[in-house]
Amino acid sequence: MTSERTILGVFTHPDQLLAAVRALRSAGIGEIRVFSPTPDHRILHELGGKRSPVRAFTLAGGLAGLAFGWGMTIIPLANFHLHVGGKPLVSLPPFGVVAYIFTILFGAIATLVGMFVHMRLPRPQLHAEYDPRFSADHYGIRIRCGAEEAEGIVKLMKANGAMQVTRSRG
Amino acid sequence: MEYKLNYADTDVDLLRTMRPPGRIYWTILTVLFLLVVAGAVAWWSQIQTGIGLAGKNSPVGWAMYITTFVFWVGIAHSGTLISAILFLVRVRWRAAVYRSAEAVTVFGLMTAGLFPFIHLGRVWVAHWILPVPNFGGLWPNFRSPLAWDVLAITTYLTVSSTFFLVGMLPDLAIVRDRVKGWRKTVYGFLAQGWQGTDLQWKHYTAGYLFLAALATPLVISVHSIVSWDFAMSIVPGWHSTIFAPYFVAGAIHSGLAMVVLLLIPLRTTFGLQQYITMHHLESLAKFIIFTAMVVGFAYSVELFVAWYSNNPYERAIFLYRMTGDYAWAFWLLITTNVLAPMLLWVRRIRTSIPWLVGLCVSVEIGMWLERFVIIVTSLAHDYLPSSWGLYKPTLTDSTIVIGSFAWFFFLFMIFVKVLPAVSSWEIKEQIAIPPKEERG
Repeated sequence: MTSERTILGVFTHPDQLLAAVRALRSAGIGEIRVFSPTPDHRILHELGGKRSPVRAFTLAGGLAGLAFGWGMTIIPLANFHLHVGGKPLVSLPPFGVVAYIFTILFGAIATLVGMFVHMRLPRPQLHAEYDPRFSADHYGIRIRCGAEEAEGIVKLMKANGAMQVTRSRG
Repeated sequence: MEYKLNYADTDVDLLRTMRPPGRIYWTILTVLFLLVVAGAVAWWSQIQTGIGLAGKNSPVGWAMYITTFVFWVGIAHSGTLISAILFLVRVRWRAAVYRSAEAVTVFGLMTAGLFPFIHLGRVWVAHWILPVPNFGGLWPNFRSPLAWDVLAITTYLTVSSTFFLVGMLPDLAIVRDRVKGWRKTVYGFLAQGWQGTDLQWKHYTAGYLFLAALATPLVISVHSIVSWDFAMSIVPGWHSTIFAPYFVAGAIHSGLAMVVLLLIPLRTTFGLQQYITMHHLESLAKFIIFTAMVVGFAYSVELFVAWYSNNPYERAIFLYRMTGDYAWAFWLLITTNVLAPMLLWVRRIRTSIPWLVGLCVSVEIGMWLERFVIIVTSLAHDYLPSSWGLYKPTLTDSTIVIGSFAWFFFLFMIFVKVLPAVSSWEIKEQIAIPPKEERG
């Protein structure tokens, strides 16, 4: 029988949520998951963590697109030396347009991939503790802890305005 | 802007658009569908008989189809301007209108994308323009603006659709959480498992910012590339460096007018005046004043350049536009595109719904005519007088063009019923949350 507990606190006001998050962080609770209907930058700042690495995907995709655009326009010319109107074989301005377009296309696709990888989407099943009210006008804090810590966490959440706190195993 | 509402009411109000429709909706949808079918039949007939059925021949080989193609690509631009550019510069009033504007972008591109196939004549060789080598190892000509067009429009459609659907994820989750049965499964799939966790919001807001930053240059570049279909030729009246900014300004002008034309029935039909307020419509109207002045300035610069250049062919084409066979279209476009929107300087007019509708329709007519005049007059009256010839629309091309308008509005009407047309989560972000004590 697992000794892990999942505690879900439901709040109706973002200020109460913020106070609860602060209290839990002060108590040394590390793994806090917050549910909210809108992004709240105070909460995100309080929870800390590194900057989103999605930007790296965007950069990598953009550079790949740039290379692909130039490569696709220039490399085939090695097989076909077709001079058009006395213009140079490798015409940088028109090929630059193609490279620019692919930079944006690959950058956008890579950003999408990066977002989904880090958001852990698509997700066939929602978290068991997800409450549909979280997309409407309620907020949630989910903590996974040992059985001995559970009571203290429940008290902290209630002291900071949780309208409902539920406990479950696992 | 701050909304004096609450989160729960916001969801109820905004999801009202997705309720089962009434008789009027079905009637309009049926009429639009029939017009689309008529357009499809006309296209089939053209494929069977040939492009001559559409009146395209020497010297006017491009006419209504390219006009309408450029028109719809232009319409698409304002959506990205409102959703991406206004997001980057933190204009808060964009929240209530950007979803519909993005839909205008996506559906405008889906409509515009039909025309390269339609005007091709031999539709079965459309794959020749794809950036892949043929059996002889020959690639498309990447020096051609027509090849750039394919890549630019495809990229714009891909990026805009991505931005559109990603922006909708939290709202699709709201719908998923409110419906039952098979709808829950469908919207659950579309929401991709979104739960609004801190982790998801962190990466979502970061990614959304980068998508906006990537979509923004497309607003400038795509219609510049489309304009180069003309500017990179040597046809008098086309070969001008002003074409890129001229077309981009015109694109935004027509796009803003289309967004206003769609927002007005949306807010009236579903009682969304608290969300899509007169402030939104007025802000868009002020934008339209600005773009009308830019377009008017571009027309004057074109005329000045034609005169100042002392190029007899440039001078001749502009004289022909103003006094020749299509002069009626030229003066009508000046009136509808530049002069009529100046009425929006009057506050009573720009805050009057009937006037806004009338002036936006006027802008759409003017912008379509602008492309028509540019394309048809220059081809009808180029360097060699013995080559001059006129173009008259035929039943085939007119039916197809009308069908394209019906297709666009058909798609928008489906969108309003199937997807959340106003962004609930972004409106909620702007709602002033009362202090804790009042919420009880």
